[in-house]
Amino acid sequence: MGKILRRVMMIGGAITPPNIPMDWTWRQMAAEAFWNALQDAGVPVKDVDLVACNYNDRAIADSSPGPQIADALGILPKPVIPIANACAGNGIASYTAWNAIASGRCDVVVSMGFARSDNYDAMEAMNSQGNYVDFDYMLGLTHINYGAMRDAYYRRKYNVPLEAAGHWAYWCNWYARRNPLAASYSKPMPVLEELCADTPEAERDRQATNRGGVASAMVFVGEDVARRYTDKPVFFDVAYAFRPPYVGNFFHYPVDGMREYDMAELPGLMAAAREAYEVAGIKKEDINLVQVHDLTAYEGMMALEALGLCELGKGKDYVLSGGMTLESKCPVNTYGGGPAFGHGSAGSDFQAGVLENYWQILGKCGERQVKDARVGVNTSYGTHHSLDVVGVVQKGW
Amino acid sequence: MSEQFPEQFVRWDTFSSALWYRTRAARYRLEGTRCTACGEKFFPPRTGLICPSCHARAMEPYPCAQSGEIVAVALDDVGFPAVGYGDYMPRVQAIVRLDDGIHLMVDIMQIADPAEVQVGARVKMVLRKHKREDTGAWVYGYGFILDKGA
Repeated sequence: MGKILRRVMMIGGAITPPNIPMDWTWRQMAAEAFWNALQDAGVPVKDVDLVACNYNDRAIADSSPGPQIADALGILPKPVIPIANACAGNGIASYTAWNAIASGRCDVVVSMGFARSDNYDAMEAMNSQGNYVDFDYMLGLTHINYGAMRDAYYRRKYNVPLEAAGHWAYWCNWYARRNPLAASYSKPMPVLEELCADTPEAERDRQATNRGGVASAMVFVGEDVARRYTDKPVFFDVAYAFRPPYVGNFFHYPVDGMREYDMAELPGLMAAAREAYEVAGIKKEDINLVQVHDLTAYEGMMALEALGLCELGKGKDYVLSGGMTLESKCPVNTYGGGPAFGHGSAGSDFQAGVLENYWQILGKCGERQVKDARVGVNTSYGTHHSLDVVGVVQKGW
Repeated sequence: MSEQFPEQFVRWDTFSSALWYRTRAARYRLEGTRCTACGEKFFPPRTGLICPSCHARAMEPYPCAQSGEIVAVALDDVGFPAVGYGDYMPRVQAIVRLDDGIHLMVDIMQIADPAEVQVGARVKMVLRKHKREDTGAWVYGYGFILDKGA
């Protein structure tokens, strides 16, 4: 790792609520999140040096979205770095923003993402070059199929009961009823016993709900700049890593840190977590708040294991022993997680976790507030965990 | 689909014929690559790519084993996203460990009852029609069937 010239601080952020109007264009969505984040941070548009923006519509075909985004946000001629890296891409946008500030090149950078994914037929968009290799998606084996396969394999390898998945979904829903930004906020609370059932309906309810179109934005500044705008900044750090893009290679990829694992572990996330903890100067024992990107309950447990909160295969015990609750020493998914906050794709899957940890550290989370929140970690992944991102926010001065 | 339109007539994907052409050796006969420097074998093929193990750029074609064992199974009864497989629901999919150690995610075909497909079962490769490409031509590719004689 090279030399980090200065710490990066987060001073504001925003995410669009669920069910945004159907007639909003992607430009409106992007501008909504960008504007609200700047308002939250008290930063005028003219102060923004750079925007790093992820999107997920049709990355390869849309080869020049940068000027369009810059025009929509009113920052021309300043640059936008367009990023297309699946659902975790707004994590990569945050990494890009972090680098721009840590290097000293920029003072104020906005990291954002949007997903107005109904602009294109979903299948057409997913079949772009950015998703998958030529021998899975092309032959009809999608990331949905991978998810079902991975869950079945993980359950079998580590003897994970349905009950653990049911409890995972239950606690995500419990938090979501206390988070007005969650997709399930105003819906009836599900029954724990029903979530633990071995039925197709319960299986669906243990998986992510869709937020539809969504956009989010976060404002980062250099530590020396933060006092210009706020007296309550938090430190932000981020790292990411890849694993092979072909699912079969999860079982044998001849690289250290990969070859000893298979489909039931997340070595890319382990690598990203190691680097994120190092950059942030924390140990896993310091973490007292975690948000993970979980499209199924099982991969949520796998993420806890990869972060080092418990041993491999012991995510079930963490959940069943009350580890997700507010009484735990490290509560999990207080934003509502995939099952209840909802899947935001390129628009929010990484940033939703960062924003929750940021608001928790600022003590703004009401009934779901974690006592003495100091160090929050969040995860996000793209496609079938071929890229994993880890964010760390810590209480500032 | 209906009697008047027996095949799916909405096109969902935009792959070009050229892309299908370039992948034919692997799709038809499971041709992967092997690094001549360190001996690591790969599927999908890494023709012209750099070896992640030894970082040489010296790949040669490698014929993957055509049989193996199931290590994971999942049922696809949703069919999302529809990619021309609607006629085949439910599909049974599996991770197969080939006899040379390479792993693939594949369809297990010609199944009367999905419960027949179990972890540990022996399977062998077959060549099957998969879907129509944009030009209307059929796309052929590998699939696997249970090797009941094994």
